[in-house]
Amino acid sequence: MKHDSNLPLEYSTETNEMNILGFWIFLGAEIMLFATLFTTYFVYVDRGVGNGPAGSEIFELTPVMIETILLLTSSFTIGLAVHAMRINRVKAMIGFMIVTLLLGAGFISLEVYEFIHYYHEGATLQTSGFTAILLTTLGTHGAHVTLGLFWGIMIIIQTLRNGLNARTANKSFIFSLYWHFLDVMWIFIFSFIYLKGMM
Amino acid sequence: MRELFPMKQVNGFIFSLLLTVIALSVYFFDMSFAMGLTILIVTAFIQAAVQLVVFMHAGESKDKHAIYANTIYGVVIAVLTILGSLLAMVWGYN
Repeated sequence: MKHDSNLPLEYSTETNEMNILGFWIFLGAEIMLFATLFTTYFVYVDRGVGNGPAGSEIFELTPVMIETILLLTSSFTIGLAVHAMRINRVKAMIGFMIVTLLLGAGFISLEVYEFIHYYHEGATLQTSGFTAILLTTLGTHGAHVTLGLFWGIMIIIQTLRNGLNARTANKSFIFSLYWHFLDVMWIFIFSFIYLKGMM
Repeated sequence: MRELFPMKQVNGFIFSLLLTVIALSVYFFDMSFAMGLTILIVTAFIQAAVQLVVFMHAGESKDKHAIYANTIYGVVIAVLTILGSLLAMVWGYN
């Protein structure tokens, strides 16, 4: 198989290209996972409240806004990490990845705070159809970010240990795809769960 | 230092912050539900497109047609699932 030597390192072997394409297909399946969660959310949001609180009673703008800014910024910094990787600046790349993971950790901390707040407001998994799907949707996203934190740490360790090569560049790039995807999902959660709920 | 911050990505980031602020207007300004929802749908999908093209480099490799086809397929099925379920379970019972 002929290969274009002008391609960035992460695309530089046949396997690498297949890995990236395969990961996009995985992301397609992830879109469906979140679509089923959103479906259930939209069905329950007005009719599944029961005796529990409605979204407008428990949502708080400030933590949600900070979470959004943190995740948007982390999506930007992981993009910068990939750019630094492409111009072969390993130190800058690792630096941007660390910043990304710190922002992600900040996001998770706020989400934990938010969940505690919901618990005190009497919105738990067992309260109503609405709170159940709300917490499941947010929790699924949060679990993805948490997984991403551990994955990112592993990527940093491997890159530090082996340097930048076709394999580590490929893994880092795929991790960046995952992280951007989580940001996109958060945008939908932010718009159609929080803002729509507080409108 | 400058070479670490490519204009394309910096602009993409500023644009995504701007979209967030526009989306936020539905909270601060009094508007009809239909108007607010329209703003949210437009800003969210533009936001997703910015991420896809600027940050995820969706169109850079020779697999770009497969990548776009796969993503659009995912989104279409997602939208159909959501709207179809709402049609069957919510909108029909007003």
